[in-house]
Parts: sequence; C-alpha cells; structure tokens
Amino acid sequence: MKKTGYLHDNRYMLHDTGPYHPEVADRLLAVYEGIKAQGLLEYLTMIPASRADINWIEAVHDFDYIRRFEEICLSGHNTFDDPDNCISMDSYESAFLAVGGILDTIDLMMKGKIDNAFCAVRPPGHHAERDKAMGFCYFNNIAITARYLQEKWKIKKVAIIDIDVHHGNGTQHIFERDPSVFYYSIHEHPSFAYPGTGRDFEVGTLGGHGFTKNSLVLPGQGDDTYYMLIQGDLIPAMNQFEPEVILVSTGFDAHIDDEMSDIKVTTNCFSWIMQTIMDLGERHCNGRVISILEGGYSLQRLPELAGNHIKILLDL
Amino acid sequence: MFVSNHMKREVITISADASVLDAQQLMAEKQIRHLPIVDGENKLIAIVTDRDIRSAIPYSLLKESGNTQTKENLGNLKVKDIMIVNLKTISPMDTIQDALLLIQKYKVGAFPVIDENKKLLGVLSVRDLLSSFINVLGINEPGTLLCVLMEEKVGQLKKIVDTITEEGISFGSVLVNRHWDPNQRAVFIYLLTNNVIRVKKKIKDLGFSLLDPMSWYIDSISQNHRQN
Repeated sequence: MKKTGYLHDNRYMLHDTGPYHPEVADRLLAVYEGIKAQGLLEYLTMIPASRADINWIEAVHDFDYIRRFEEICLSGHNTFDDPDNCISMDSYESAFLAVGGILDTIDLMMKGKIDNAFCAVRPPGHHAERDKAMGFCYFNNIAITARYLQEKWKIKKVAIIDIDVHHGNGTQHIFERDPSVFYYSIHEHPSFAYPGTGRDFEVGTLGGHGFTKNSLVLPGQGDDTYYMLIQGDLIPAMNQFEPEVILVSTGFDAHIDDEMSDIKVTTNCFSWIMQTIMDLGERHCNGRVISILEGGYSLQRLPELAGNHIKILLDL
Repeated sequence: MFVSNHMKREVITISADASVLDAQQLMAEKQIRHLPIVDGENKLIAIVTDRDIRSAIPYSLLKESGNTQTKENLGNLKVKDIMIVNLKTISPMDTIQDALLLIQKYKVGAFPVIDENKKLLGVLSVRDLLSSFINVLGINEPGTLLCVLMEEKVGQLKKIVDTITEEGISFGSVLVNRHWDPNQRAVFIYLLTNNVIRVKKKIKDLGFSLLDPMSWYIDSISQNHRQN
C-alpha cells in the first residue's frame, strides 16, 4: 500500500457560487463521503490547507490580475471577468488556500512523507489564464504547482496530464513555449465543448514545440476512444518525455452521467485511466503523482469516482 | 459586413517596370500572393499573382538553368509582360457575402478594393474572409456548441432564444442548417459559456431534442449515400 495524502479543507466550501451554479461546495462533500463510504479515510494522510505565499501565485499570474481578483471579491460583486465565474467575498481566500494546500502537499511528497496525493480543492484552475479568470477558474493551481516544483524543488521535467472533459486552455498557454513542462490533455472536441481550444494541431510553440499534446474525443464517444487515445498518445508521449513528477488535472466530467459534456466514459474506465497514469508514474518518477481536482459535476457519481480514484492512489 | 472593415489597407505594390524575379522575391519576403500595380496617382492598373509568376518562370527552369543567357532573359522579364490588366475588383461598399460569391464565381484568391476613381484602397484575400468568418462564428471566444433539432415552423427559434436569454448567457453565433427531413431544421447555437447544464435541460423540457453530433454525422453520410 502507498502513503497517500488527501488534501481536504472545509474552507474550500466558502467559495460560494450561488444557487444555480454547477461548481458548488457540495462537490467536495460528495468526494469526502465517497472516500469515507469505501472505508479509505483511515489509510490516508489528511492534509489541511494553508494560505499560499503570493510570490508563488505571481510565478504564473500577473500581479495586477491578482489585485483585481481581490478587489472584486471584497467589493461584493458576484461575478469576475465573465458571467460564468460566480464569486463571493471568500472566493479570493479559498483560491489562496487551494494553492497553499497543494504546495504543502508537494512539500510532503518531496520530503518523502507521502508517496502521492489527491488534492480536492475548489476553485478549480486549469482554465485560468495568466491575466484572466475563465470557466469557474481563478488561479491556475496546477501551473503554479509545476513552477513550484521547478523553483523550490529543482525538478527539471514536470508532466501535466489533464483528463478533465474540457481543454485546459490556461495551463496549455502558460507552458506552450516551455519544453520543461509537458502538457497532455484528453477532452471533448473543441468545436463542441468549452473553451474551444485544444485542437490537435496545437502542439506547442517555439522552444516548446512538441511538448503539448491534445487528444480529441467527439461527442457521444466513450471508453473505447479513451483506451485508444491514452494508449496511442499519452503513453508514448510520457515514455519519450520521462517526467520527474506527474501532476494530474483530474476532472470527472467526462463521465456518462455528467450532464456538462457529451462524453460517455464509465466509472470503470476512469479507474483504468488513473491506473494507467499511476503505472506511468512508477515507470518514470518513482510513483510521484499528485492529482488535483478540476471539474466533475454529477453529485451522484462523484462519491464512487473519488473513492475509486483514492483506491488506485493507495494501490489497494 | 462590409469589405472596407475586413480588407488589408496597407497594400504592398510593385512597379510595372520591375523585374518578375524581384516581384517573386517580394512576395516570398512578405508572404503574399498578390501584388497590385498602381500608377503615380495610386490608380490601379493591373495585378500580378504568384501563379502568373510560376507560369512565366517554371521553378525547374529557374533552378536548373546553367545558361547565363537564359538567366539574363529571365532577369529581363518585366512585371508588365505578365501582369493581368483585365482584372476583377470590388468596392469597399460591397459586402463580405458579395466577396464570397465573387470569389467562388471567378475562382480568384484576392480582390483589389478600389474607389469610384479607381484608386487602390486595399486588398481583400481569402485569408481575410476566413478571419471574418472565424469572427462571425464566434469561435475565437470560449464557448460551447448546442445542436438543437427543431420543426420547420415559425416561432421555434424564439423559444430557444428566450430560454438562453433567461439564463443570462451570451450568444457567439446561431447557424440554421438544412436537415434532410424537410420539416426539420438543425440549429447550431454557440454559447459563450461553460455552464450549459441548466440551459440544456430547459431546452429539452420545451420538447426540443439535442442532436447527438455523431449520429447527425453518421445519418448525413447514409443520407448522402442514398442520394448518390
């Protein structure tokens, strides 16, 4: 069995998106209940959140953008940059705690206290651009984490594997010129799904050419396409890149019962995807895999999906 | 939707007396395929395209010619010897729709845009048209595509538009597509949001069906097959 960390903090629920939004606090409760129901809590190292040092957020985001986010939250506005991005007074703090909790998790892994971890954070991050909030995301948690690994822990090659059903435009744009961070994403075809980026001809630019890879899934497709693309695109890419740490943008919204997308991945296939990522982690980076929650909106399915996810991290 | 809003205004031109080799080099440098030729008062005289140049100087001839005499002859070839004088132009007040139909009709890659005095104002190329259509489709902005099947009868789209408006969602574009069933229309609505769960449900509750794009694709194939 592995030593697996579970980042969970009730303060992530203070980010209030209002009554009609799919990205709600109950998602984290569903995740927690699912892990508990499978009897897994006792095996986990519980990690509480701490507030991130703003310097780490500035490693990815413009200072003016961070200030703008703070001001709009404190001023009592209920959206930021786009009607999609519903916020409350506490959203800014929650976003700082999300980043801080993940960075603490990284420290625990790098010090050998845990082998891997699941960071069940809100708000999510992969759509957030350097200077713009998008798609329910404010700080790009996973991008900040990759920079942290490189700057604090001197990790040279980080792989980001994004299995959310939407393309992580923010993450791709932040690293598209950077050969030290490989960004792989599998998502619903951008002609149909938000945000409309992540086409297969987007492969990175300048020095980062060849270090971005997008696998597209047409609406209505499911497990078979995922098996094929992950085996055909992800595994060879990772074998060639040989990452030192793998970060996973874990979205559960490609699930057949998640109404956000038209993709039909089953619960079993989600387990297979995560197991495949763990196998890549064993092969290339001594099992150093940190999974960070992005989307996934089916409150009925999140418990089983999160429970299974943890089981695979624990190697039970 | 007027040509004047979409044309390139900074036009690179060439003199009729320039050599064809110079024209070719200029096109390569600026990555363009059309060079208008104007007189001293900026009045359009003619145009030369990369295709005209390729026809005048086949690449193989240029590359393989070891003969100094041939090279000299090629160097002496002037733009005025190959330029097209009887050319198709458009006005800045023409619309993008006009330009599309004209490009299809005349099979050209670009139009010089001139005013009533034949003064050159710009060039509108297929590339500019593509940019304007990316803009019209709204796909340079983040959003989600809904594919809705509706009966061909007045007032259907209004229900959908009202529903989307109630949800406070902005439209990127709406395309109405002919369906093989003459009583149906497939409507593609590009919404500038990630948040489509509620709006999808409301549209379904109104009795519309959301098209599964893949079955639409497969049905279209079988439909085309039957027609053939």
